[in-house]
Amino acid sequence: MARKRRSSKDKKSQLPMILGSVGGVGALVVAAAMIMKPSETPESAPESRFSIADYRQDASRLTGNSYRLEARIENIESIGNERLVAVSLPNNAQERLPLVVPNGVTNRVNLTRGDSFVFYVKCRNGKDEQGLDVKGIMLVEKVENM
Amino acid sequence: MKTSTYLKLLSVFGYALMVQPGFAQGLGKPSGEQTVKERTAVQSDNNNGDRNITIGKTNVDPEKGEAANPQILGLEIPLLDPSSDTVSYNGGKFDVGNNALVRARFEKYLQQNPDDSTEAKRYRKKMRELLKLTQKSARSRREVGSETLLEIGNGLYELNEYPGDGGISGSLASAVASAVAVQYANRSRHRRNDAMQKEIDDLVKKTNTLTNRNTGRGQKAAKTVGKSDTANAPNTSVTNTYTIAHNTKKIATLEAAGVKNDADSIAALELSKINFQSTIISMLMQRRYDHALIGAQVYRHVFRDGDTTLKMDSESPAAKLFESGTGLPPTVNAMATLASNMRHEIDQNMEAVTNMLAQNKLADATQSLIQAVAVGEYMQSVATFPVEGRRRIAEFWSLRRKALSTMNARDYGALEEIAAKMKAMDPDFDDSMLTSYCAGRKAQSDLHLRNAAKALKAGDEATFNDEITKAGAIWPKNPNLEKGRQQLEKIDNQDSVRDEFRTLVERKEFRTIYNEQDKFDVVAIDPELKKQYKDAIALIGTIDGMLAQLDVAAMQDTTMGPCMAYEMLVEQGEKDARYKDDSKYREALNRFALSAHDFTRALENARNCESRREYGSALSNYYRAQCLYPRSTMAGEGVKRITEIVLKAKF
Repeated sequence: MARKRRSSKDKKSQLPMILGSVGGVGALVVAAAMIMKPSETPESAPESRFSIADYRQDASRLTGNSYRLEARIENIESIGNERLVAVSLPNNAQERLPLVVPNGVTNRVNLTRGDSFVFYVKCRNGKDEQGLDVKGIMLVEKVENM
Repeated sequence: MKTSTYLKLLSVFGYALMVQPGFAQGLGKPSGEQTVKERTAVQSDNNNGDRNITIGKTNVDPEKGEAANPQILGLEIPLLDPSSDTVSYNGGKFDVGNNALVRARFEKYLQQNPDDSTEAKRYRKKMRELLKLTQKSARSRREVGSETLLEIGNGLYELNEYPGDGGISGSLASAVASAVAVQYANRSRHRRNDAMQKEIDDLVKKTNTLTNRNTGRGQKAAKTVGKSDTANAPNTSVTNTYTIAHNTKKIATLEAAGVKNDADSIAALELSKINFQSTIISMLMQRRYDHALIGAQVYRHVFRDGDTTLKMDSESPAAKLFESGTGLPPTVNAMATLASNMRHEIDQNMEAVTNMLAQNKLADATQSLIQAVAVGEYMQSVATFPVEGRRRIAEFWSLRRKALSTMNARDYGALEEIAAKMKAMDPDFDDSMLTSYCAGRKAQSDLHLRNAAKALKAGDEATFNDEITKAGAIWPKNPNLEKGRQQLEKIDNQDSVRDEFRTLVERKEFRTIYNEQDKFDVVAIDPELKKQYKDAIALIGTIDGMLAQLDVAAMQDTTMGPCMAYEMLVEQGEKDARYKDDSKYREALNRFALSAHDFTRALENARNCESRREYGSALSNYYRAQCLYPRSTMAGEGVKRITEIVLKAKF
């Protein structure tokens, strides 16, 4: 189960004429928040459903989005203190999702292959050693045992 | 007489064909110079009435130093080599079984029905009676003009009336009659000599009396007898002298006439013997052993002086050959023995033929029958051989003839088939020599073809032509020669083929070269093109082999098999760009890509994302591909590559 956490955008009402519309949008947001109620939220930010098919298609579109994922670790690769885990999501064992686990985000959680955890992730872009873009990487922000 | 002697005698009488004018032509004399340089012929001096016959001169080839065949009556004797069934004649060797005349006669014999007509039976019966009579006459009182001799002569004239006799009996009867006539003539001359001797004696007596009167030793007595003679004494003396001279001359004339009569008698007797002996020999040569036996026995009846020696030079090779064949000196008695034993041997031979046929030994039966027919065609046992036996042997003989003609035509494939048929007809038939010969010749021919192929590859056209010619000469119907012919055509067209080959290489249409490799192998003469040709053949061969294996693998595992096949094809295409030029490769790649659609799409997406630096998506797609085909090298390498980038990146 994954929920998207929306980033807040300041929308200043400059035109009173469209206040009604804003109200409508606000009602929709509320309704959506009601439907996609997060199971567990480390922060108060909202979360949305995660589709690995969409991710495979174009991860850049998801940049900035945060998700809560319950997943099973299938493989772990590491260079230095950085780790990249390949996880499988429930009911989708034929897919693997790569997650970058920066050093220190796991606290006392010991990531082991074959075990399932709750990952709080955010899709981000980065830079490689040459300063070139590294797009659409799911970066783990927090890990919890299930 | 043993069989070996029988065979030697065959050589002496040489199938008796030599006395027939058409024999030399029938043998089919091979090309080559005739080595016989001189011939001995009957030389007769008609003026003197003498006839000098030389028998048995030897002809020697001065170059080869080989003694030619001996001669009888100026005719060369064909010599039979029993070990090979060949007859040596006129400087050449001839296979008895493959001799045109013998073959023709034997085939004619095989196609004839046994002569069981009433006339034939009567003839054979009469012949048996005459043989008994002549044997009986040998023990009876021998006298010219005896009843037995008369009966034999009449019997011979009676036999002469049968058409199958061929006038042989008549000839013998004439010889007998002629000899008897000579004997009567000699008797007449002998009686005349007796009368002349009596007259000579009387004349001598009268002459002696007259001589005594002239000399007076008888005068006294004369005077007492006739007184009046005194006055006429001188005239009487003159008359006596004339009478004495006349008597002396007449005595000399009579003496000369007597000597001449004796000489004529001796000459006539010798000539008569020679004629009779020639008749007997002629009958032996003509394989008329019954007649020869009758003649030899009658000879002793006609010529009672006990001299049966053949008028043959005792040192001559023919006489020696005769002696070595029979172990006897060349006499009429020996000829009688010879004829008798020939008859016996032929009868035994025919009995053996019958027994061998009963045991299905067709090859041996055929060989024995052809010898029996060649030697004793007119013998009763041969003439009455049953038609069923003739038919079976004719069938086998036909195959043998076909084998010989096929061998001459050098059609070894057909020859082996014929040998197999002969073996099927006669399990004892030894076909090993025939089959070995065929196999050897075929191998020789094929060896030349192989050399021709090598020469073609080496670009040696002259050797190629030479080897093809040799192969064809040895085995004209060698099926592999057709390949050689096709290669020859290729050589003729090689310039255009080379151009076409170069065009195909330029267009990278290696599969076309592969599909028509027989056509393009001629370009291998050119070392550069040869390498290109070999590379093209090897490439397409490798592709086809690989595709065949991949097809099998894909069929065995319909889930991962196509993925594996696709990935392998892509990898090979990356390694060797020529793969991608092959239509069959491309077709297979598309086919497997379609079968492994999810896998290939994941890899493609991964590559696309990777190129856009969408490493998250790329890595996820590689993972997807790896899930579908865990052994995927491409996916594995992609995961490894991007993992390294991602882990080294700063976020």
